[in-house]
Amino acid sequence: MTHVPLGAFIAVSAMLFFIGCAGVLMRRNAVVILMCVELMLNAANLALVAFSRRLPAADERGSVFVTFVFVIAAAEVAVGLAIVLAAYRNRPSVDVDEARAMRG
Amino acid sequence: MPIGPFGIDPAIWAVLRLIIAVGLAVFLVLNGALAQIYLERKIQAVIQDRLGPMHTGPFGLLQTFADAIKLLAKEDVRARLTDASFFIVAPAIVFSPMLASFVVLPFAPDFVAANLNIGILYLTTLGSMTVLGIVIAGWASNNKYSLMGGLRSAAQLISYEVPQILALVTVVLVVGSLSMIDLTNSQPGLLVNFLILPFAFVTYFIAALAETNRAPFDLPEAESELVAGFLTEYSGMRWSVFFLSEYGEVTVVCAIMTTLWFGGWHGPGVDALPILGVAWFTLKTYFFVLVFMWIRATLPRLRIDQLMSFCWKILIPLALVNIMSTAVLVLAFPGNLLPIAIVNWGLLIGLILGLPVVQRRRLRALRGRVDARALRGLPT
Amino acid sequence: MFDLIEPIVFVLLSVALVGAGAAVVLLRRITSGALLMAFTFLCIAGMFVLLGAETIAAFQVLIYVGAITVLILYGVMFTPQSPRSYPLFFQRQTPLAAVFVALIAVPVVFIALSFRDGGPPASGGGDLVPLATSLFGPFAFPFEVASVLLLAAMIGAIALVKREDPLDDEFGEERL
Repeated sequence: MTHVPLGAFIAVSAMLFFIGCAGVLMRRNAVVILMCVELMLNAANLALVAFSRRLPAADERGSVFVTFVFVIAAAEVAVGLAIVLAAYRNRPSVDVDEARAMRG
Repeated sequence: MPIGPFGIDPAIWAVLRLIIAVGLAVFLVLNGALAQIYLERKIQAVIQDRLGPMHTGPFGLLQTFADAIKLLAKEDVRARLTDASFFIVAPAIVFSPMLASFVVLPFAPDFVAANLNIGILYLTTLGSMTVLGIVIAGWASNNKYSLMGGLRSAAQLISYEVPQILALVTVVLVVGSLSMIDLTNSQPGLLVNFLILPFAFVTYFIAALAETNRAPFDLPEAESELVAGFLTEYSGMRWSVFFLSEYGEVTVVCAIMTTLWFGGWHGPGVDALPILGVAWFTLKTYFFVLVFMWIRATLPRLRIDQLMSFCWKILIPLALVNIMSTAVLVLAFPGNLLPIAIVNWGLLIGLILGLPVVQRRRLRALRGRVDARALRGLPT
Repeated sequence: MFDLIEPIVFVLLSVALVGAGAAVVLLRRITSGALLMAFTFLCIAGMFVLLGAETIAAFQVLIYVGAITVLILYGVMFTPQSPRSYPLFFQRQTPLAAVFVALIAVPVVFIALSFRDGGPPASGGGDLVPLATSLFGPFAFPFEVASVLLLAAMIGAIALVKREDPLDDEFGEERL
């Protein structure tokens, strides 16, 4: 079996991370920004699992962190969407540029 | 020359096993759906004191084949304002995970396409993918009934996944493995897991009814409220793919019940003739399929709020208590299943006796609220 | 011939992953974006299987495809699509953001390619047992903290979207 080298996994993960990062900076819809944050989290997961499987370690440390990332991602989406829906209930828009009531 | 199972060379057996298992899966999905539709009609008919289909073939046996041909030959209709790509992709999203889950079902000793060490986790994972297809089907149809059906279905499936997984975890705690083969092998004799973990079984059974959209939890496609739910805009082959996956999912959850609680392929004569395991497995699975149909003909449909509050306020807390007590007892009495069995039977009896009391109190509170609203002139 | 299966699957998965990820960012239709996001999650699960981490792959599909995508679809359906209809590339911050990200991304990807495997790949048998022994052994306390976080998130989400009813104090939370 030919194994794919570790560097290839990390490179794909980095590309996905920066795609998500660009999305967060470029898009204005709050829901799309949440989606792009999820992409970034997934890219980080991929890197963690790749390191954990391909570097010698006694335990699956990286995979354990990935489990925690899953938990945090689930919590983040639940609360994030609740905030978006609550904000939408007060003002009829989910455009993040228009949420500037706190601006001086 | 090494001799594998059934006296066949292991190298040939490895390939042969794969072909047989995949063949069985496709056979079970396609013919199983036809058989189940026939059974469903006949059983409903018997319960409602009718004859059911009688005209096509002897005892109406060919009726479902005729229906299948009709569905295949139907015109492919898609309303203009539906979202084309989503509308087409939704049936596939529902169907493919269901087909993939047949890979790990243990039909008989050595009759498994893939013995994954995460078998039962794999099955739950695939089961959770159905939601996505249904939500997309509801959204793409551009029809308020479809959308309501899709959203209801998403809420229902996500909620009932929790007690389902909790029930599975209880069994996994006792057996100590996630592999479907190990789970089957842990109960070779008459002492099946059902006798030890009846409460986990009942939890799983109720959750499975909801997961497969079967009555009394068939709210996503409640005819009297939502026309046909997310299926409203579908017809012909696409509709039948949804239908096929529904029956396939019923088969999968029944197979999970058989494997986890009723000994899977084990039965008289399996040790002498391993192929008999397929027969036992199929018989046990279809027994649960029949129970599903019996329930459909017996119980009225729940309301959506009853459905959700039953899941979150009764089923999940009790399942958590069950998992907690089982975990403690597994550690406290290693190798002794009696305490676990006692607690589980106690929980089951508590559920059956406590449910009417709780429901009566809830109803009283609800009526009080409605009356108070009427008195104060608030909208109900 | 079987030798090349892993690299071929990897290339297919990474092309699909990067393509679908870019589409999530660039597509104007949010619903398509959500579906493509689910597709990238599936591709990542495929990558995990390639790495021999089936348990993590199963969790990935269970949590991301089964739960998070559905939640986000809910969010998409309950909120309006953006009323402003000008294309993405004429927004003020877009070119700046693209240049900024590209400036950091290109060197990082090249550095990433230089990583080498640190020894023989982990033997077969999957990651279920090592993952479980770590999770319930040295990482038991963080695991418990994570469950508290989930509970807090659940309560927070319910509190944020709950509608108040003056009759709640009198009759409890039961609704019709």
